[in-house]
Amino acid sequence: MSESPCDHDSPMWTPCNEDVNSLLCRSFPGDASYRELREEHLAPEAPVHIHAPQVFKNANLVHVISVEKNYVKESINVVIENIDKAAQDEYFIPFTADQVSRLGGVEVKDRKDATAGPFTAEVAEFDPTSDTQYLRIQLPTPLKSGAQQTLGINYYLLKAYKPLPAAIAQDEPQFLAYSFSAYAPSVYTTSKQKTEVKFPSTSIPDYTKLPGSGDIKEFPQKQGSKLTYGPFDEKPAGAVEPVEVRFEFTKPVTHISLLERDIEVSHWGGNVAFEERYTLYHRGANLSALFNRVKWSQSQYYNPNTYAIKELKFPLKVGSADAYYTDVIGNVSTSRFRSNKREALLEIKPRYPIFGGWKYPFTIGWNSDAKNFLRKLSGGGYVLNVPFLEGPKQVEGVEYEQALIRVVLPEGAENVKYYTTIPPSSISEVEVQTHKTFLDTIGRPAIVFKARNLVDDFRDRELVVTYDYPLSATLRKPLIVFASMMALFVSAWALGSVDLKFSSK
Amino acid sequence: MAKSRNNRDVAPSAAATTQASVTSTSSTANITAPAATTTTAKSSKAAAKSSWDQMVLNIANHYTKSTPQRTKLLDAFMAFLVVVGALQFLYCILAGNYPFNAFLSGFSATVGQFVLTASLRIQTTEANKSDFPAVSPERAFADFVVCSLILHFFCVNFIN
Amino acid sequence: MSANSLQVLAAAGKGESTRTALRVIILCLIAAAAVSSRLFSVIRFESIIHEFDPWFNFRATKYLVANGFYKFWDWFDDRTWHPLGRVTGGTLYPGLMVTSGVIYHALRALTIPVDIRNICVLLAPAFSGLTAFAAYLLTNEMTTSNSAGLLAAAFMGIAPGYISRSVAGSYDNEAIAIFLLVFTFYLWIKALKLGSMLWGALCALFYGYMVASWGGYAFITCLLPLHALVLICMGRYSTRLYVAYCTWYALGTLASMQIPFVGFLPVKTSEHMPALGLFGFLQLLAFLDYVRSALPSRQYQTFLWLFAGGTFGLGLAGLVIATSAGIIAPWGGRFYSLWDTSYAKIHIPIIASVSEHQPTAWPAFFFDLNFLIWLFPAGVYLCFQQLADEHVFIVVYALFGSYFAGVMVRLMLTLTPVVCVAAAIAISTVLDTYLDARSPDPENAKAEEAVEGATKKASKSGLKSTTKPLVGIYSYVSKGVVVTAMTLYLLLFVLHCTWVTSNAYSSPSVVLASKLADGSQHIIDDYREAYQWLRQNTKDDAKIMSWWDYGYQIGGMADRPTLVDNNTWNNTHIATVGKAMSSSEEVSYPIMRQHEVDYVLVVFGALLGYSGDDINKFLWMVRIAEGIWPDEVKEREFFTPRGEYRVDDQASETMKNSLMYKMSYYNYNSLFPPGQAQDRVRQVRLPEVGPTLNVLDEAFTSENWIIRIYKVKDLDNLGRDHASAAAFDRGLKKKRAAKKRAPRVLRVE
Repeated sequence: MSESPCDHDSPMWTPCNEDVNSLLCRSFPGDASYRELREEHLAPEAPVHIHAPQVFKNANLVHVISVEKNYVKESINVVIENIDKAAQDEYFIPFTADQVSRLGGVEVKDRKDATAGPFTAEVAEFDPTSDTQYLRIQLPTPLKSGAQQTLGINYYLLKAYKPLPAAIAQDEPQFLAYSFSAYAPSVYTTSKQKTEVKFPSTSIPDYTKLPGSGDIKEFPQKQGSKLTYGPFDEKPAGAVEPVEVRFEFTKPVTHISLLERDIEVSHWGGNVAFEERYTLYHRGANLSALFNRVKWSQSQYYNPNTYAIKELKFPLKVGSADAYYTDVIGNVSTSRFRSNKREALLEIKPRYPIFGGWKYPFTIGWNSDAKNFLRKLSGGGYVLNVPFLEGPKQVEGVEYEQALIRVVLPEGAENVKYYTTIPPSSISEVEVQTHKTFLDTIGRPAIVFKARNLVDDFRDRELVVTYDYPLSATLRKPLIVFASMMALFVSAWALGSVDLKFSSK
Repeated sequence: MAKSRNNRDVAPSAAATTQASVTSTSSTANITAPAATTTTAKSSKAAAKSSWDQMVLNIANHYTKSTPQRTKLLDAFMAFLVVVGALQFLYCILAGNYPFNAFLSGFSATVGQFVLTASLRIQTTEANKSDFPAVSPERAFADFVVCSLILHFFCVNFIN
Repeated sequence: MSANSLQVLAAAGKGESTRTALRVIILCLIAAAAVSSRLFSVIRFESIIHEFDPWFNFRATKYLVANGFYKFWDWFDDRTWHPLGRVTGGTLYPGLMVTSGVIYHALRALTIPVDIRNICVLLAPAFSGLTAFAAYLLTNEMTTSNSAGLLAAAFMGIAPGYISRSVAGSYDNEAIAIFLLVFTFYLWIKALKLGSMLWGALCALFYGYMVASWGGYAFITCLLPLHALVLICMGRYSTRLYVAYCTWYALGTLASMQIPFVGFLPVKTSEHMPALGLFGFLQLLAFLDYVRSALPSRQYQTFLWLFAGGTFGLGLAGLVIATSAGIIAPWGGRFYSLWDTSYAKIHIPIIASVSEHQPTAWPAFFFDLNFLIWLFPAGVYLCFQQLADEHVFIVVYALFGSYFAGVMVRLMLTLTPVVCVAAAIAISTVLDTYLDARSPDPENAKAEEAVEGATKKASKSGLKSTTKPLVGIYSYVSKGVVVTAMTLYLLLFVLHCTWVTSNAYSSPSVVLASKLADGSQHIIDDYREAYQWLRQNTKDDAKIMSWWDYGYQIGGMADRPTLVDNNTWNNTHIATVGKAMSSSEEVSYPIMRQHEVDYVLVVFGALLGYSGDDINKFLWMVRIAEGIWPDEVKEREFFTPRGEYRVDDQASETMKNSLMYKMSYYNYNSLFPPGQAQDRVRQVRLPEVGPTLNVLDEAFTSENWIIRIYKVKDLDNLGRDHASAAAFDRGLKKKRAAKKRAPRVLRVE
């Protein structure tokens, strides 16, 4: 087994390293930066002391890593078995601190029992100084001793890739590298496992090769755009086998570091206004030479496939209207908005093509009739049902490092409650603030959701807000405007009738 | 310029002294008159001394006869302003105008106040009544106060 | 509106309060028309700040709103004029920014949060409504006819001469200054008429506001003394004049000195001396006036002569000494160019290079004022007929304003108000005379059906004439003809104004619009594309070198430090940039290194046929640079031996080697088949071999090539190149360049 020679030293990958390096050196002779980058990338994956109690065993595990989009989607389907005497209800998965900061959208389900619903999964920190942190999965019913359960664990890792080479010419294809462990991360002994990696295309120039086992000579096996490491036999808890793959990804690596999404409900206008402010980065390969317009306009004709961001498409909810697209210096004219009975599609073109390392913040917004989202309950309250996240829908995917979703309710709304289908672990904070704007006296209640590490797979998740809106609050605004106008007229009249003349003296 | 200032000095200072001794107006006028005469006579070469005497005397007479008490108070104030202004100017010439904005705001305060007072004086004079149909003396005084406030606000602001 | 309802209106109109209400409504309508006619650009494009200077004002306003008034006052801006910086707080007219800041905070306090950009964009139209109102007040002081005031307000509201500077988005000092100008004049007339200190003080306050807002305040500073002087010369000295003028001057001068940028100028420069002189003169006059009332006339005469002679001699001597000792500064360059139009061309290229400072072409008068321009003399003539103090003012203003408008294009702005007032007086007189409705005449109704706007005016004049029967025109035919003609002219005027506003004055110039073949509008947004790129993808303190025209825009939109900008306070610095642009790379590179330039930005219109590009402005750069370094930059060398300014293969060597030429045409011919490169601005075919650049890298070129940005190479790579001998070096580079170009040509094919 290839693991045994590697296991002696603390940088357990040293023996394998030569192998990998020679492989990479072939493709990039003399590229020293690549080696450095690789080392830095792999180093944190050293085995560590495990805090979690050894109460489970992974009977069978399939780890699927999808690098098809510009974020990594991993799903671990595992049959767990309680090897302890007592019934257990907490299952742990280890991550490095770095991974935890980029981890998002964790959802755990019972593969056999769809009704069991998503299990609670949260990051549990045993030792803040340690590099290893754990995801604690709470089983809804404790697993009896010796019993088995099939878990389906899905999560996403953002900012997962390094472009390799880090700088390319503007018409070259882009390659990304991703490193991971061939063995699924686990704090328990794993009897049987395999790791599948799905790629966006069949162009995978480099990947770490491991000696095979059983009837397979060498891992991984390549089938089209898929690599399979394993099946491996029993591995101890915390076993790690660093692996790196490098694949072509001539698509933008769109990264949104901050999305601010405002949803403003107006009962008077019968309108729901959306505004989204994006801070967009391209995390792909930088330009090796400066931007060349001639080449760019030529490639537009001959080879439109590029890793630069040329266009973003926002499929909005049907009935959206008055879309706009601006940035910090005003309206951007290169957008198209099509709204009809079937669809409402906003297509925007940034002012300039966005290459790797470039940044482009922008704002879009639109309105929609309130009746598309808002319903009055029979009990007198209102219920607002909006998508938690909209944002661009791109083939290559979009990742959101931070999202700030703010739902502004009409002034005077009370008894505000919410419900969302976004994984709870993605939402870091929810608070109700007061937002003061046009002609407000006491301000409007606004629920602010702070979410992190989201991806565009969550586009369809709902956000439901219910609130009461008494009649007095409805009438507040016109009354106040009327009263202040009256006060103005009265004071003007009073001032006008004051006699300022001295002649009467 | 210097001469004009000098000349204007004459009338108000005469006024000031007259005010001091109301009972013996004519005598004080006589006392100041020669002094004024000598100053003007020095600068004007060709003028006959007697006609100057006569002129100044006429002015003084006219002034004492037709000026009401309140107006004289104003005149005294104006004379004071002229003296202060002259002193400031003198200081500026002798000691330099280093904090120029300080000098300027001080000087403009005196000049501005002088002009405003002159305006008030003009507006309150009975003889000018026909020129100002819309301005009653009370109104004039109110205007004067407002303008002076503005003036001094600017001066204080400018002095830093 | 039917004639019937009009009669009802007329019956109701007899009441004074109804008339006032009607007047208020008409004024509101006029203000609404004035505002809405300025919104073309917002509707057609977007709510955007226009042109160049407004971008600075906008940036300053944002700074004011963000940092508060005191920090704004002491603002030292190290992001302009690198490496010198600019004491911005002390070198600008803060009135505009403070006005928007106050409006912004006032609206906030009223819980109406409006984006500061929208306030800035809409400030000029809002103030144009106020200007119309001020014109109404001013005209009402001139004539007893109410219709004249309303007409003047309407003219003022839509006259293209004023619209040119006050469309939505043209957030410049003139936006509020014209209102202040007209209103100050109104207050002056009011003060003069009433002889009231309070009105004088108000006049001074608004004068102070005007000084805080626009450099054109000197116009008031010169016009009011001139008016006073003319009155005195006409023997119309009165105590009212004394009160009004002295109050205005004493308070106004102090108020103007509060602005740091103006500071001591009112007592030091010659522009302000007439006002000061007249102030002194008025003191003398007042004194003399008093003496006259005290002396018999014979004595007074001798006194007067001696006194006047002495004072004049002393005053003149004082002035001469003061000027020669340098206490009073000589007149500024811009001021000289007002007297001698060719002065600037010879001595100050930087002033002459601005198109606004050119003398006005004759058609411009008609273009900007339409039929008002020929009614204007008629109005002035009517003023001559009455010739009260306030009419003298209009006459003086008319003469003064016409002269300056003829000398400098942008001073058309100061002429517009008086033209509107005078034309309104003329028209209202004509209409009052010809619409003498002693019996209800059909023309009246006919004219009224034509336009709604004219209707109200006509009905007004009709009302007027019932109270004031005239010895006038008895033939209905002549009445009809004249009234119809006038109505037609008014209609045409409205049409003309709309047309001019929509076609000539509503382009933001940051965004260019073009029509596609199918008639739809296509927006060319290269400026913002490039500025946004700079803003997002360069270091925060990357210094940008460009010609000064774009300085404010780079500061406002790209938010990057610039070397020079539209505040052309340092001619040498501008000349340095001009020199860098017009010299060869070997000379320019050290200059750019010295000034820590990171990027160089040029505007290039050849691909699109955009004529306002840097190659067309290039001669000004050369001239300005030549002014400082006559030995190194010579304008003559940029022309062909036959004296032509060319960019094709006939271009002179100096031209071809200049950095500007190279940056403009670098890589341009690779867009075309070999030998076909075409310059669509200058309509020439470019040389087959394009220029090579050694010290710069092309960093960004916008979609239509209007903006090209180059990155200055680091010194390390080029140390040896500069060290080696220039001639040998050039030969080497040429060879290398030739090698480099070969594959590129191949690839195109």
